[in-house]
Parts: sequence; structure tokens; C-alpha cells
Amino acid sequence: MIMVHVAQFFWGWLLASLLLGFAMGWISVVQRGEGVAGAWGRALWALVVVLVALALSRAVPGRPGYWLDLGLVMFGLYLAGCTVGAYLRAWVVARSTPPA
Amino acid sequence: MHELFRWSSKWWLGAIVLVVFWAFATWTSTEPVESDLAARANAAIRDALLDKKRVAVAGRDVSFSAEAFSPDGRRSALAAVEGVPGVRLVNDGTRLVPEAKPFVWSAERDVVRVTLSGSAPLPQVRGRLIAAAKASLGNVEVADQMGLARGAPPRFDAAALLMLDQIGKLKDGKITISDDKVSLSGMARELGGREAIAASLKNLPEGFSVAANDIKAPPYVFQAYKDPVASTLTLTGNVPDKAVHAALVASAGRRFFGEKVVDNLKESIGAPANFAAVVVPALGALSRLSTGTLVVTDREVKLSGDALYDAAAAQIRAGLGRDFPQGWQYKAEIAVKPPSGPVDNSVCQQLFADLLTKARIRFESGKADLSPDSLGLLDRLTETALRCPTANIEIAGHTDADGDAAQNQALSQRRAQAVADYLVRGGLPANRFTAVGYGSSQPIAGNDTEEGKAQNRRIDFVVK
Repeated sequence: MIMVHVAQFFWGWLLASLLLGFAMGWISVVQRGEGVAGAWGRALWALVVVLVALALSRAVPGRPGYWLDLGLVMFGLYLAGCTVGAYLRAWVVARSTPPA
Repeated sequence: MHELFRWSSKWWLGAIVLVVFWAFATWTSTEPVESDLAARANAAIRDALLDKKRVAVAGRDVSFSAEAFSPDGRRSALAAVEGVPGVRLVNDGTRLVPEAKPFVWSAERDVVRVTLSGSAPLPQVRGRLIAAAKASLGNVEVADQMGLARGAPPRFDAAALLMLDQIGKLKDGKITISDDKVSLSGMARELGGREAIAASLKNLPEGFSVAANDIKAPPYVFQAYKDPVASTLTLTGNVPDKAVHAALVASAGRRFFGEKVVDNLKESIGAPANFAAVVVPALGALSRLSTGTLVVTDREVKLSGDALYDAAAAQIRAGLGRDFPQGWQYKAEIAVKPPSGPVDNSVCQQLFADLLTKARIRFESGKADLSPDSLGLLDRLTETALRCPTANIEIAGHTDADGDAAQNQALSQRRAQAVADYLVRGGLPANRFTAVGYGSSQPIAGNDTEEGKAQNRRIDFVVK
């Protein structure tokens, strides 16, 4: 990814996104709330798909284009952090619960 | 997998915090990213041959404009910017430098500055031309009005540099290169400059030719000033060569017997044809004046001053230019010096003697024809005779002892008569003069040496 070459200016925020994702993933396994699902959830994912499409097609010019790329990279790392955190928590929970 | 979907529905909450992070990240990183990309884009095209380079970065998009000197140069510059890591898009604002047809470059010189205008093919060439102009002209201001254009003929730089060498030799003028044709006009700074420029034009690079060379030479000036107060004859200006220089100074020495010749002449090429044939007689005319100035400018002769008496003024006016070669102009502004007061006969005798000790009346060898070298002296003798209206004067001719005594006597008689005739032509009554030929009977020096003989060949004035 070309963004790598300018990552020196925002790597801290990328790391923060990853850690935030890890934390949210960790929590999401045991949290009992409703979350955002159904129509809202689909709409949000659709929004993400649209934004990714815009970024890949480089349709947004100048600074907004850069901001979009940066936002999507941060979101991507956030999702990666969430996934890792959730699976790790799920693994920990499964180990600590005695087999029924 | 189903679990992942369940968990992920809860991740959206964290996205709110993520948005805050994103806001901070964009706020802090946008400008550093932009300046970093701009620096690296500029570095990528630093050595590219471009004019009017401009790089502007918004986010990761680079707006790049420049004028390139060839299609290849344009493509490679664009590729260099696109290749800068981190750049997302390049907005291509590049174009080719316009092509000049015809490709015209010129250097114009006036009193205070040299103006370079027209087109140069490349920025480096333009810089080199400005530097060369400064080097060739010393302290003269160099004004640069050159633009850049494609379409220069091959070896343009060499031709333009050669022309800048020539502009230093001009006082004013203009040199233009139009495609492969060179034209020059103006005035050379020094005599010989025109010839030097014409010679340099032979070194034009292959393919170039001279369309017009209208360089003019500065006027070729020679001046002589006879100053009766300081008793000097001052020669200034130009003479064609050493031989003419020596001949002129020698001739002046013979004709201006009472004056010291101050020689400030400079040998320079570019003299009009027949220069010596005109200046020598013109100096002769000046020698007859009491005070006067001779100015020879190119082919124009101007003599001004005061003759010693009326008849001399008329003779000089009529005589100047009579033998000048074709194409020469002349102008004589001759006045007459106010006559000196009369003197008595003994003073008159003394004045004659003084004049004739300073110089002798010369004749053509073996003949009774007055030498043109003696006209100045004869005019002074005439002037003196005019001052003593009552004196009867014997004009005595003498020779050395060489040759037959009877022939010598006859020659001295004819010579004395020639002098008497000259005085009569000057306006004096013929009956006041007696021309007598003594031959070699009254030597004033020994006839055994050349020097003694020369002293014996003489004309004496004896007031009776």
C-alpha cells in the first residue's frame, strides 16, 4: 500500500486504532447488549463498501481523498484488532469454562 | 463464523471513538504529509530540463505544472513525479515550451546597456549567454528579455556566443540570429572593429550564414593644429601605418620650420584610400597659415585659420583640393590675419635674416622651381616685405661650387627670380625687387663638405 510511505506521520493513530479494535473485540464477546444489527448494520456495511469503492477508484480528490484513505486504513486496522481481540477472548473464555 | 457476526454488531460502538481518532489523525498529519510529498516530488524533478516548474500538493495528490523542452522530457518528468512513493494522483499541468518559427535571438547594444531578447533554447543556454555578455562587456549593464522556445537551429549556442563576442566591439548596434541567418548593424567601437567583426564572422558554426553585415566604422579622423603662441604643430588622430606616419611627421618637420611638431598620432587601420596623398598637401596649406586647424574626417578635409596676407588666403582657398583624388570633399575657411605694423628698413633686414637662418628656401633639385616645402617660409618673407613698404630688396641667389660656374650663376639667377616672382604674386610691386644670381662666388662655408655646400646653396634678402 502506497500509504505506507507516508505512515511516519500517523503511525501512532494506526496503532491506536488497532488497540482500540483489540479492546472492542475483547469486550464484544462477553458484552450482553444489542449492538447495531439488522437494517442499521447492513446500512453501515453498505456505507463502508461505498467508501472503499470511492477510495479504490480514487474518485475523491485532494485532501478529502487523503482523509478517506486514512480513515479506511484506520477502520481496517480497527476491524483487524476487533477480530483478533474477539477470537482471543473467545479462546480464553472457552479454556476457563470447565467442559460440561 | 456466526459468532463473529454477533460480536461484530457490537464493534460499531468503538467506531465512534475511531472517528475521533481519525479526526485527530487528519488534523495532525495532513500538512506534514503534503510538505513531505512536495519535497520529494521537487527532488525527483530537480535535474529535469524544465521551465516554470510548479508542484502543489493537496492530500496525496500532486498538481504538477511545467514547460518541457521536448516530448520525451515532458513524459519523463511526469513519470518521475508519479513515481514518488506516497503520491496518489498527479494532475498533469505540463506542456511543451512553444516552438518559435523563425527562431529569433538578438543582442542590442546602446550607450548604457546590452539588451538580450528573443528566444533561447534552454534555461542553461540562456544563463550562459547572460554570463558571456557580462564577461565580454565588463561594466555594461546586461538586460535580459529572452524567452525560452523550442526550434533553435543546431549549434545555436556557439553562434550566439560568437555574436556576444562581437557585441563588445560595437559602440552601438544590434546583432540578430534568425534561424540560421545572422545580421549585424551598428557602429564599431574602434577603428578596425568592423574588420575584426567581419573576420570573426568566418568562424560562424557550420550551417549559419551572414544575411547582412551593416557594421559601420567610426570616422577616421586626423587633426593638425598650428598654435603660433606655443609655436607648436600638434598632430592628433589616426594614420594608416608606420610609413605614412613617418612620412607625415617628416613632411611636417620640413614645412613647419618655426614650430615644434607634437606627434600624438596613432596608427590604425581603416583609413580612406589616398589618405597620405591628401593629408600631405593639406598640411602644406596649413603651413602657410599664421594659425589654423586641419581636420580630416573620413574623406572630408576642413582647413580653417588665418592666412598671412590677402593674396595668400586666395591662393590657399584656390589651391586646396586641386590635387585631391576623386571622392574627397574639402572646405577652406581662410581669413586673413590683421597686418602687423610697418617697420623701418633695418628692422626689416633683421626680420629677413632671422627667417632665413631658421630655414632655407628650397628648390627642386637642379631647377629653379620652388619646393612646396618652402611655401610657409615664402609667405613669411612676403609678409615681412609688406611691412617695409619703402625698402628696395635685392634677392640674391647663391650656389655651391659644384659644376660649371656659368651654369651655377644662371641657376642662381633663375632661382632668385622665382622667389621675386613669388613675392610679386603676393601683391608686392615688382620694381622693389632685384633678383641677382651670384653663382658660387660668395660662399659662406667651405665647399669641401656636403654640409658646407648645403649652406652655400641659398637665397639671401638684402635690404638696400
